[in-house]
Amino acid sequence: MNAVVAAIHAASPTPAPITVPGSGIFQTSLLLSLLVWAPVLVAGLIAVLPNPRGRFDALIKQIAFFTNIGLLFILWIAYNQFQNFLSTVQYEEKVSWLPAIGAVYHLGIDGPGLVMLILSGIVALASVLASWGVREQVRSYFCLLLLTEACVNGAVVAHDMFVLLLFWGAATIPLALLVLGWGGPRREAAAWRLAAYWGLGTIALLVATLALYSAAGGKSFDMDVLLRVPVAPRVQLVAGLALIVAAATRLPLFPFHGWVRDLYSQAPVGVSVVIAGVSTRLGAYVLLRLLIGSQPIGAQLLSPLLALMAAATVIYAGLVVLRMTDLRRVAAYLTMVPGAVTVLGLAALSPLAIGGSVLSLFSGGLAAALMVGVCATLADRAQTGNLMVMKGLAPRMPNLTWLTVLAVLGLLGLPLMASFPAEMMTFFGAFKNQPLFAFAVVGGLAIVGASLAVILHGVLFGTPNPDAPGVSDASSGEKWFLGVLAGALLWVGMFPGGPKLPGTDTPIFDPGLVNAMAAGITEMAAPYAAK
Amino acid sequence: MMRAYLLVPEALVAGTALLLLVAGRLGYLPRSWRGRLPGAVAAVVVVALIVELWAGGTLASLFGGGFVQDRFALFAKAAVLLTLVAAIAVPDWSAEDSVHVGLAMILFAGFGVMVVASAGDFVPLWAGLELAGACGVALVGVRRPDLGLRLLLAGGIATALFAIGFAFVYATTGAADLASARLVMAREGPTLPLAIPVLLLLGGLAVRAGLAPFHLASVPSSLGASPVGSGILLGLVAAAALLAAIKIAALLSPSPETLSVYLEVVAAVAMVGGGAAALGVRAPRARLAYLAVGQVGWVAAGLSTHYLSGLGGALFLVGAFMLAATCGPAILGAAEGGEASLAGLGALRPVRALGIALVFLSLAGAPPLAGFFGEFAVAAALAQGGHFGLLAMGLVGSVLSLVAALGTLRVLYLQSAPEEARRAAGVAPGLRFISSAGAVLVCFVMVAYGAFANPILGLAYQGAEALGLR
Repeated sequence: MNAVVAAIHAASPTPAPITVPGSGIFQTSLLLSLLVWAPVLVAGLIAVLPNPRGRFDALIKQIAFFTNIGLLFILWIAYNQFQNFLSTVQYEEKVSWLPAIGAVYHLGIDGPGLVMLILSGIVALASVLASWGVREQVRSYFCLLLLTEACVNGAVVAHDMFVLLLFWGAATIPLALLVLGWGGPRREAAAWRLAAYWGLGTIALLVATLALYSAAGGKSFDMDVLLRVPVAPRVQLVAGLALIVAAATRLPLFPFHGWVRDLYSQAPVGVSVVIAGVSTRLGAYVLLRLLIGSQPIGAQLLSPLLALMAAATVIYAGLVVLRMTDLRRVAAYLTMVPGAVTVLGLAALSPLAIGGSVLSLFSGGLAAALMVGVCATLADRAQTGNLMVMKGLAPRMPNLTWLTVLAVLGLLGLPLMASFPAEMMTFFGAFKNQPLFAFAVVGGLAIVGASLAVILHGVLFGTPNPDAPGVSDASSGEKWFLGVLAGALLWVGMFPGGPKLPGTDTPIFDPGLVNAMAAGITEMAAPYAAK
Repeated sequence: MMRAYLLVPEALVAGTALLLLVAGRLGYLPRSWRGRLPGAVAAVVVVALIVELWAGGTLASLFGGGFVQDRFALFAKAAVLLTLVAAIAVPDWSAEDSVHVGLAMILFAGFGVMVVASAGDFVPLWAGLELAGACGVALVGVRRPDLGLRLLLAGGIATALFAIGFAFVYATTGAADLASARLVMAREGPTLPLAIPVLLLLGGLAVRAGLAPFHLASVPSSLGASPVGSGILLGLVAAAALLAAIKIAALLSPSPETLSVYLEVVAAVAMVGGGAAALGVRAPRARLAYLAVGQVGWVAAGLSTHYLSGLGGALFLVGAFMLAATCGPAILGAAEGGEASLAGLGALRPVRALGIALVFLSLAGAPPLAGFFGEFAVAAALAQGGHFGLLAMGLVGSVLSLVAALGTLRVLYLQSAPEEARRAAGVAPGLRFISSAGAVLVCFVMVAYGAFANPILGLAYQGAEALGLR
């Protein structure tokens, strides 16, 4: 195994920055602020738009849709302008905000941040499409959805711990209200559990922030200062534990997963997609940035705990799925799996595994969103989520069957899907440093795969149940939102380094997610490079 | 030159209040004027605010040191004048028992807070507190004499505690002015004869501020009062007590042992107890009152740090608290009937619903509103000082408060209005222009407090510096 890892290391030195054709045509220093505040402004606009008796419901949906298209366009510019393999933060914005306590409005992204932003853009668009069928209080719904998107983007681009906390905490409010307002019969329990667990996570993040702030002299919340000041191992351990709790409540990881089952089975599809796809990924992103990337001693001390939680999560999810009788609850537990794989890569503390984790932030988010979306749509179209009743749906739902198969492939990390290179990098890196837990995670994935095979064989290809309610295939809106997620998984799976001009190394219009995400990772992984 | 204008804001506020009382009592206010009266009074307060902002930067001491104009006074008086503008504009005055009495009482209460803010020795500090408290008693007593009596009794206990504590401090230090007393404290250090009066002083202030577990008089009284009366009790009287507490905490900062433990315990109980109680009740006014109790606990936590950043953060938070707690009951208005009366208000009365939502969220400390910034400034000070236990209690209280506030938001925005409410909304007039303007002002300040937090927090820190903290 060591020889394999050494060979991979030798074959993958840090490449030189690639110049993408067309780069440099658009320059703005407010690009990140635009990604954060444009959805807020549009939400405000929608909120004051007169909408007597829902006359402008369709217009509101279109505004939300085109806002997301616009944001994706800005992201595409950011992606193409991004300097691959650069070690510094890019698109930086820094404005003095609260000098009295040392808080700065400081935004900036590196490779992992860009990956998260792209994920956020794609998932937000899919979420709007998935919400096209919302009929009640459309204005409030799309306002809250846009505010959620703004909070997620804000947490991703924040380069000041105060700003990060602000957006991290604020994201809970619109999501809880979305579940409360448009969820299923048990929505209250689902929303309060979400608020309680995520509130606990916010407290944990605040504790970590204040521990670091206090240890760093209480002068600044700027990550450039806070994460670079040498901190005593004891403080790193305390802050690291708090960060693990914060991340574990979001991702979620066993045993902080109490909100998952009710939420995904009660929330509307569009909200489930946004939570599974991107809001929860913030947990792993915060671990990467604040623990692995800046507290090496704390990371070394806590990596076995992280790996243990990852292994326990995958095995637990696999076993629970076997006992489930409701498809949406199956999806709820399956969404825990990609996050656990990401955390295993982080716990491995090797450059290769950390790179795999960053890619799995993206692929895992898409796979989880696709799985939740597919299962919710299947249950919706079959008029039941009961696995005892849902049998032999494939002939009557050909499109949904294909999309379900793609979701399963994406979740398990099979070739051609973006999750394949992500899991390969993660496991290659993890088998060296965390062999026991890596085997446990692989074993857990095998259980998940077996469970899925049993469930889906019955649901899709079993003998049809004559007593089941009537079924219909996905509508065009559902096909579009699921297609966006599946398409992104396939695109990055097939072209992780971007499509090249034939016979050259020059990318055509996509510099390649693997190239873009590498910016900043080398520096984050530097303390662990010798391992 | 500027010194001549320093007392203009106080003169305008107190003079207008007196004029209203006299004119109302003698029947000089025609009925046709009453509709326009709140607007005219709010305009006078706006003028006072402008004068304060223009002339208030002048450092001066008047009346032999009894009145001190410094950055602390500037911050606190600007905050109270802004609160008065909104608190006069927002209410539905037709629901009040008497327009001229209500207006006069809210102005007098504001004047009391201004006196506390500028107090250079114990006498105006005490007088300002008493004036603000008396206005609360008067407005509660007009509607509910039994509750007024209860509040009067609690106020009497607070007054007695404060007066005895003041007398002891005077006896111990030999000085009634705050600056001289601070010098004596710094020289002599903490002693038992000092710790006892401090306990009494702070006990009196805790009763006035409605800090748990001393809220048992103020919260029930606020529930029985008119919206304006409730706002005075929950906001202005508590703010007067908190400003006095900040001055006393600064006075005692050379001997922090005399007050820290006491304040820490009270702050922890208030933060967690306020949040838990807010979660346990459903009536909007009661929930608002308990959320206010929880935020007062955060101010007390800031005071327990006894250094610049803690007291600066606490002062910053008092500004946010005062506006939300004073204007909250007025924005809630007729929602006294219980949670159901708010159902669907987001669709029927969007401006009012937004005002209610922002006030509740701000008092709960939800990001990115005024209360969050204030509580975060205090939290940062607690972390700097290593008060992690108190910080943890505060965080638990904030989560409880947040869940409680979300419950009210759910009713506002996600429940459908009962059919009869819809019908009533079709014929009943919405908020009048001035009320809408007041609600918009409250919403703007709640949101802009964070965006403009730098100058506001900077001024609050300068205010804390003016009290002698470094």
